[in-house]
Amino acid sequence: MSRDRVAVVGAGMTKFVRRAQETGKELAWEAASKALESCEMTLDDIDAVIIGSAPEAFDGVHMKSEYLSDGCGGWGKPVIRGYVGGGTGVFSPIQGWYHIASGLFDTVLVICEEKMSSCQPHPQGAFLTIFDNFTERPLQPNLLWIFALEMNAYMTRYGLDKRDIATVSVKNKRNAADHPAALLGDANITVDDVLNSEVLAWPVQRLDVSPVTDGAVALVMCAEHVARRVTNKPVWVEGVGWNLDTAYWSSRDLSYPVYVEEAARMAYKMAGITEPRKQIHIAEPYDPFDYKELHHLEGLMLFDKGEAPRAAADGVTQRDGDLPVCPSGGLLGVGNPIAAAGMMKVAELFWQLRGEAGARQVPGTPKRGLAQAWGDLMQVGTVIILGA
Amino acid sequence: MGLLYRLSKPEQAIAWEGDMPITSRYTMGIAGERFFRAILDDEALWGTCCPECDVVYVPPRLYCERCFAQLDEWVEVPNTGYVYTYTIVHVDMDGNTLEDPRIMAYVRLEGTDGGLVHFLGEVDPEDVGIGMLVEAVFKDKAERKGSINDIAYFRPI
Repeated sequence: MSRDRVAVVGAGMTKFVRRAQETGKELAWEAASKALESCEMTLDDIDAVIIGSAPEAFDGVHMKSEYLSDGCGGWGKPVIRGYVGGGTGVFSPIQGWYHIASGLFDTVLVICEEKMSSCQPHPQGAFLTIFDNFTERPLQPNLLWIFALEMNAYMTRYGLDKRDIATVSVKNKRNAADHPAALLGDANITVDDVLNSEVLAWPVQRLDVSPVTDGAVALVMCAEHVARRVTNKPVWVEGVGWNLDTAYWSSRDLSYPVYVEEAARMAYKMAGITEPRKQIHIAEPYDPFDYKELHHLEGLMLFDKGEAPRAAADGVTQRDGDLPVCPSGGLLGVGNPIAAAGMMKVAELFWQLRGEAGARQVPGTPKRGLAQAWGDLMQVGTVIILGA
Repeated sequence: MGLLYRLSKPEQAIAWEGDMPITSRYTMGIAGERFFRAILDDEALWGTCCPECDVVYVPPRLYCERCFAQLDEWVEVPNTGYVYTYTIVHVDMDGNTLEDPRIMAYVRLEGTDGGLVHFLGEVDPEDVGIGMLVEAVFKDKAERKGSINDIAYFRPI
């Protein structure tokens, strides 16, 4: 199949904060303007707009993308919202890719926004309705239950040490100390801090978890003939993939995310990647919890099953390690405004592959990076591969 | 046949009732905060102006949705305008008949490209017409909270 090549040419984001005074529209506008400014384009240059945002209940606005559209530059343009829960932040640039690869549009502005602070007393209340109405909701489940059950299954299946898993939280919060937009950067955090933090639902502890956050991120994507005019450093979309497991989480293999593997296989095939561990130079897997980064690295086939925690503890995934993982600081460090957090990872690859990541720049000259997000009913994997 | 049968005896189906235990706490935003503070403190309506696109936004926006410029030019706008269109509401949300029908109007504010949807007061439904000139009636200061309900209604002038 012949397709137009698609590049990311601009990126911008707001600061990730616990509680923004800005409305969701105003956050979206700030990120979108910065992205346009970064590639010296204006709204007039944009053919279509893609909006990514997670559950409506977070912002407390139904028909959320219609509400957000003017802040996203959607006035008078073709606009679409894609939504695959937490996977949205990586799915939205995938939508950007196929809007352009299809030949329908030359330039697309992609915005992901989340304003979780609107949701009181806590977004957990909104998450309640993702559970089965009859077999689960009457038990008053909490989202942390899923993670705790999954983390325990993962740890037990492979005999993992929680201390190794905690190194992910430490790495990401330390990496985030170099991110100007980060909410929870901490250059001095230690593994003991994580292991001594409050137990929420064993084995999940407070510092294993990313925070509730407000923020927005935007990308400008172009067809090759436009990208060549706009920049001398286009970052190409080399592969995309997404995949869904069963909606019944009690029917899933919780110790291994097979849907992430399937999504990765789709993206690797498109990118011509046969040995991911050698051909991917930076990874930004989804890390709402520290164990999830490891779980996803295994699903992405960047580490063998059950091997990622040891590699993390050995420093392989540090910014100056053999495979830098979440050099941005990830969701654990930069923050987790759901859809915006996923696309922050794609923006990070863009900056890293252009050598523009400042204090976060990984050493050497990375040529290819992968970002992945995860969500829906905890069973979708979304993967994008970018190359310089 | 099966569908009709099931619908005719809904009480026979086991049901479980759940709700979403959240409330939303909205911030008005950078532009909204200033708009509602002016209503609260000064009984005044303000808009933002995009000189490039020649548009005055009411309610005010932080940015121009046409050209995406940040809007720093604030203008006080009249609290008068005309009825662009209206409806007379006869039933409430639950379908109950209202004893006193309410008049809802979309009021285009003078000298702006925007307006507000609000109630009309001090006028009978049969006397309302499109194009009618109206003005905002503000509640007393002690009753105002920084909300759109700080305007009690618009009335004919």
